Amino acid sequence: MSEHAKLVIPSDPAKLVDVDAFAEHWIGDMPFTDDQRDDIAISLSEAVNNAIQHGNANDARKRVTVVLRRFEDGLRIEVTDEGNGFDPDAVADPTDPENLLSESGRGLLIIRHLMDEVHVRPADGGTRVELIKRYHD
Amino acid sequence: MKLRSERHGEVAVMELRGKVMGGPDSTVFRDELKKQLDDGIKKVVIDLGRVDWMNSSGLGILIGGLTTVKNAGGEMKLARTTDKIKSLLMITKLVQVFDTFDSVEGAIASFSE
Repeated sequence: MSEHAKLVIPSDPAKLVDVDAFAEHWIGDMPFTDDQRDDIAISLSEAVNNAIQHGNANDARKRVTVVLRRFEDGLRIEVTDEGNGFDPDAVADPTDPENLLSESGRGLLIIRHLMDEVHVRPADGGTRVELIKRYHD
Repeated sequence: MKLRSERHGEVAVMELRGKVMGGPDSTVFRDELKKQLDDGIKKVVIDLGRVDWMNSSGLGILIGGLTTVKNAGGEMKLARTTDKIKSLLMITKLVQVFDTFDSVEGAIASFSE
């Protein structure tokens, strides 16, 4: 198994299933617990959903690139969109009582709880979200 | 995600299975819920015991369902929430929004209390 793998998809939420299968297969032999695998799968789906909906504004002509990299202590995931960028600090607090019944806006909150590190930065003309999960906390 | 519904008297139990990650899942859930409400059902239990995992889009599907049922004058409860889903409900504070039960039977019984 190579040290990294890459998947490029159009901005179509139906492709989330393909991304999940791609990652599940690729990290299959990495020594994560089942709970950690769920954390990774959930967080990856959040990052790709964000890239499709907020980064690429559901424009199917724009792509989302997913790169998985293994390193000594665990896994690094990079999800890059082709949009105009977004400010993660500008996202409304989904736990605020007035936002509790909103149907969206919780992705970043969940990622930050489930992954060990989360970085959002401009890259390649879009936004790249980097997620890191280590075997041990 | 897979969805299966059955009736227990005047209660509809909708069982979700697999990975609930948004996209097409939302349409499947919304269509089935609408069908139940169109049939006059006002009490709905969502059985989550066979969900592998759920992301924020899945939570959004549940919130949309809750709002739809409430607007129709009904009630919606969650049953057999897994530890992972419980943890997501805690993180997002949605534990304040949903009535959750350890069993489908408990959720059904709660409607008549």
